[in-house]
Amino acid sequence: MTRARTTASFRFPPVTVLVGGALAGTLCGLVLTLAAPVPGVTEPDAVVRYGLPVVRVLLDVAAVATVGLSLLPILVGQHRRTRAEAVLAGARRAGAVSALVWAVCALVALVMQTAEVKPGPGVSPAAVLDYVARVGAGKALVFVAALALVSFGLGLAAVKTGDRVPPELRTAVALFALLPMAVTGHATSARWQDLSTISLELHVLAAAGWTGGLGAVVVLLAAHRALLATALPRFSTLATVCIAVVAVTGVFNGLVELTAARSLTDALFGTAYGVLVLLKLTCLGLLAAVGARIRWRLLPAVLRQQRTALATWAMLELAVMGLAIGFGVVLARAPVG
Amino acid sequence: MRRFVSVVVVACLALVGHATPAFAHNSLIGSNPANESTVQESPSTIELTFDQPVQTGEGLNTIAVTGPEGTNWTVGPAAVASNVVSAPLSDLGPTGTYRIGYRILSADGHPVSGEVTFTLAKAGDGTPAASTASDGEATAETDEGGLPIWVWILGAVVLLGAGLTVALRIGGQGR
Repeated sequence: MTRARTTASFRFPPVTVLVGGALAGTLCGLVLTLAAPVPGVTEPDAVVRYGLPVVRVLLDVAAVATVGLSLLPILVGQHRRTRAEAVLAGARRAGAVSALVWAVCALVALVMQTAEVKPGPGVSPAAVLDYVARVGAGKALVFVAALALVSFGLGLAAVKTGDRVPPELRTAVALFALLPMAVTGHATSARWQDLSTISLELHVLAAAGWTGGLGAVVVLLAAHRALLATALPRFSTLATVCIAVVAVTGVFNGLVELTAARSLTDALFGTAYGVLVLLKLTCLGLLAAVGARIRWRLLPAVLRQQRTALATWAMLELAVMGLAIGFGVVLARAPVG
Repeated sequence: MRRFVSVVVVACLALVGHATPAFAHNSLIGSNPANESTVQESPSTIELTFDQPVQTGEGLNTIAVTGPEGTNWTVGPAAVASNVVSAPLSDLGPTGTYRIGYRILSADGHPVSGEVTFTLAKAGDGTPAASTASDGEATAETDEGGLPIWVWILGAVVLLGAGLTVALRIGGQGR
C-alpha cells in the first residue's frame, strides 16, 4: 500500500503537464486561426467554438493515455509481470478510467459538432442522429465512442481478472479506435488520397504509442528502478521507430496539404496552417533532442539502476508532446489559407 | 517484443481496410456575382461554386446578403447542385457595396464560411428585410426538442461519474 502511495504522488504532475501542454497548444492554435465573423450568417455559440477544440484535445489525451497504459505490461515484459503486479494493477484501473473519459469525450464532441454545423440555441437528439447519418465525421465519432466503450469493458475485465485479458488485445483495440477519426479528417487531400490517409493513420498510431508509452513508463515506473531498467530500453526502441514514423508521415501530410493550392514557401509562412506545421516541426525537433538525451545520457545510468534525472526530462518531453497534440487538434480543423 | 510486433502488424493491416475515400476542406473557386465585381442590376440569384461537392441538407448551408450600412436583404433557401450552392435573391436597393456571407457544410463534414463582395452600380427598388425575421424563423425551427449544450455536457459528466463508480466498485472487489 505504501508503494502504491509513492507512485500515486508521481502520478499527478505528469498527467497535469500533458493536459496543460495540450490545452496551451490548442489555445495558441485557436488564436492563430481566429477568423473574422462572416456578415449575416449565424455563428455557433462561443461554448461550441472554444469548447469543441478543448473536448477534442481531452479526447486525444485520454486516447493516448489508454494506449500507453495498455502498452505498459508489454513493455515491462512477461517474466517481470509478477514483480510488477502492484504497479500493473494501478495501470489497469487508470486505463479503464481513461477509456471511459475517451468514450464520453467522443459523445460530447459529437453533440458539439452537430451544434457547430447547425448553429442555434439547442441541439435535439434528432439533429444529432441526422448529423451522424449525413456526415462521415459523425459516424467516426460514434465508432470511436463504441470502440472506447469496448476498451473500457476490456479494462474493467482486466481490473477484475488481471492479465487473463491479454494486454496485446487491449492495446490493439485502443489503437484501432484511433483510426476512424483519421479517416474522416480533412487533412487528406484530394491528391494522393489513399496514401495520405494511410500516412495520417500511421502518424496518429505512432504519436499515440510514443506519447502514451512515455507517459505510462514515467508515471508508473519512475519509482521502481528494477522495472525501469527493463522497460526503458524496450520503450526506447519503440520510441525510435515512432519518432521516425511521426516525422516522415507528418512531413508528407504537411507537404501534400500545403502545396495543394499554392507554392510551399507561401503556404508555409503566409498561412496559419503553415505556421502550425512549423510549430509542430519545432516540437518534433525538441522531442528528438530530449529523447536523444534520455537514450544516450540517462539510459546507461538507468540500466545500472542508479538515480537519474529521468523524471524531469520526461516531464519536459510530455509537455512538448502535449503542445504538439494541441496544435494537431487545431490543424485538423483549420482550412489551408 | 515479438508479440508487440504482431500487434503492430495487425494494426497496420487494419489500416489498409480503412482506406476509404476521404475529402478535403471545400474552398470557394468562383461565384456569380464574382468577388469584387460591379453589377449594373441586382442579381436574381447568387451562385457560389466550390472545388468539391457540398453536403445537402435542410439548414446546413446558408447564404446571407448584407448591404450598405449593415442592412439585411432577403435571400431564399440555399439549394445545392453538386459543387454549386445557389439561392434566389430579391431586388436590392441603394447602390453601394454588398457582402455575401456564406456558411456551407464541406464534403469532409467541417463547416466552411467566408464572404464575397460586389458593388451595385444602379439602384434597384427593393427594400431591406426586417433583420429579426430570419433569425426568429431559425430559432423556432431548432427550438423543437432542442436541449442547450450545457444539458448535454451535464449528462456526459453524470455518465462519467456513474462509470467511474462502477469501475472503482469492481476494482475494490478484485482486491
